[in-house]
Amino acid sequence: MEDFPLVTGTTDAFEATSLLVTRALPGLVVLDDAGLPLVVLPGSQVLRFLLPDYIAEDPGLAAVLPEADADRLGAGLAGRTVAELLPEEFGPTHQRDRPIVRPDATMMQIASVMSRQRSPIVAVVRDRRVAGVITVHRFLGAVLPQR
Amino acid sequence: MTEPNGVVVAAALVVFVGAYVLIATERVPRVQAALGGAALMFVLGATTGHEAFFSAETGIDWSVVILLFGMMVVVSVVKPTGLFEYLAIWSAKRSRGRPYRLFVLLTLITAGASAFLDNVTTVLLVAPVTLLVCSRIGVRPEPFLVALALASNIGGTATLIGDPPNIIIGSRSGLGFNDFLLNLAPLVVVLVIAFLAVARLVFRKAFVVDPAKVQDVMTLDERKAIADPALLRRVLLVLGLIVTAFVLSDTLHQEPAVIALLGAGLMILVSRSTRDVFLQDVEWETLVFFIGLFVMVGALVNTGVIEWLGRHVVDAVGDHYLLAATVLLFGSAVLSGVIDNIPYVATVAPLVAGLVATSDRPESVALWWALALGADLGGNATAVGASANVVVTGIAARQGTPISFATFTRYGIVVAALTVALSWPYLWLRYFVLG
Repeated sequence: MEDFPLVTGTTDAFEATSLLVTRALPGLVVLDDAGLPLVVLPGSQVLRFLLPDYIAEDPGLAAVLPEADADRLGAGLAGRTVAELLPEEFGPTHQRDRPIVRPDATMMQIASVMSRQRSPIVAVVRDRRVAGVITVHRFLGAVLPQR
Repeated sequence: MTEPNGVVVAAALVVFVGAYVLIATERVPRVQAALGGAALMFVLGATTGHEAFFSAETGIDWSVVILLFGMMVVVSVVKPTGLFEYLAIWSAKRSRGRPYRLFVLLTLITAGASAFLDNVTTVLLVAPVTLLVCSRIGVRPEPFLVALALASNIGGTATLIGDPPNIIIGSRSGLGFNDFLLNLAPLVVVLVIAFLAVARLVFRKAFVVDPAKVQDVMTLDERKAIADPALLRRVLLVLGLIVTAFVLSDTLHQEPAVIALLGAGLMILVSRSTRDVFLQDVEWETLVFFIGLFVMVGALVNTGVIEWLGRHVVDAVGDHYLLAATVLLFGSAVLSGVIDNIPYVATVAPLVAGLVATSDRPESVALWWALALGADLGGNATAVGASANVVVTGIAARQGTPISFATFTRYGIVVAALTVALSWPYLWLRYFVLG
């Protein structure tokens, strides 16, 4: 388990993305109004927000754009919140499949949550509070056989 | 054919009308409504397995299902080549960012492609690049998206394979690919020109552009849309062969469905596509919808309802074929504006077939063209009149630029009224005056 920055839906999107970049994080744990982890926001989801649907869904169309367009991508975060970066289904009432494990979760349980949700992070919740997180790097490091 | 009793006939009618209402009102997904209706027809004894699966008159029209399937596979292989992205961006650059010129070129690409591909597919292929170009030159994309749907419905009218109602009409009438091409394509050329002329007025607000952004479109590189030029060349060659085979279908003594299926197979071979790719755009739900629909309509034929209706229609029409064509053209247009034109044509086609079969007058063939024109062009009237319309409104909503029902209808009803109104003098002149 490791300490990790936590954000909420109202966190400024630019600040949240800066956290991802400066601390080289695989994603951010987003808390709901009750302070429980709602979802993990991976860097790829930030990109999904920044790209129009028609570019994200058509790599052929992305190819025709000049490279200079990429320099303007980050400007799309201005004035946005973390809630706006999330896919629509992750509203404040979202209940199912949260990226959560209990402190006594086994390695196989942790692996199951991570793989099912394709999440690079799971939060460890004790007494309805986040006690820490487990990253996929830390997890794989623990299960990789020593050479 | 079985001899059903009056209770079965009445029950079959209730099932048919009920399913139709569900399809029209979209209270349940249309495929469920059609399959549910088909299942009830079996339960009622209005049709049997043998009649539904093997009868040419009262069963599933497999040639329609196979033709649709074959063309969906062809589209699945063509789509990833980047051909449409290339053409649209090339057009945008040729237009030098001038909105009306861009509008004309996109309309011509859409209408042209739609004549040979399914309308929904065409819209799905051209819409993303349209959004990109509109964003590039700083114009609102909604009018351009509406125009794509309208152009695809007009273009699709030109050929047997351009629009599903035409496929049904082709199969039920025995009219071939060239019959459609020779009878409908010349009119469609006129309709596209008329559409472009009226669009200048109807969409005038969309053609105001920020001059500072116009040159932005020139920075796009259309050549990069083609990831594998060798693949594109092979695919284009097969596409050419398929179209040639359709044109020569009478000479080759092959049905369009067989040509589509062989073309799909050849397309898979030359592209070396995997199953994931060549089945990607096969709309299984649509194919199953057609199957359910044919079982329901077949049951009505089987129970004698269609024959009874047909007799009354024949009596009512008498020798007044121009009046019948007029009613069919405008009536189909109005109905297709509010309900799905596929079940409409599937139901009306046996009636028209009866009318044409009992006539020795050459102008009776005009009834088929009136049905095709009314059903295809009438679909432009509202946002739910044709599948392509529903698709573009969905795309627009996802992009955060929703097109309301009223907005679509404001544009669509003008274009539908214009194109249907222009079709009438064409029918009158070609089939009743010039003969």
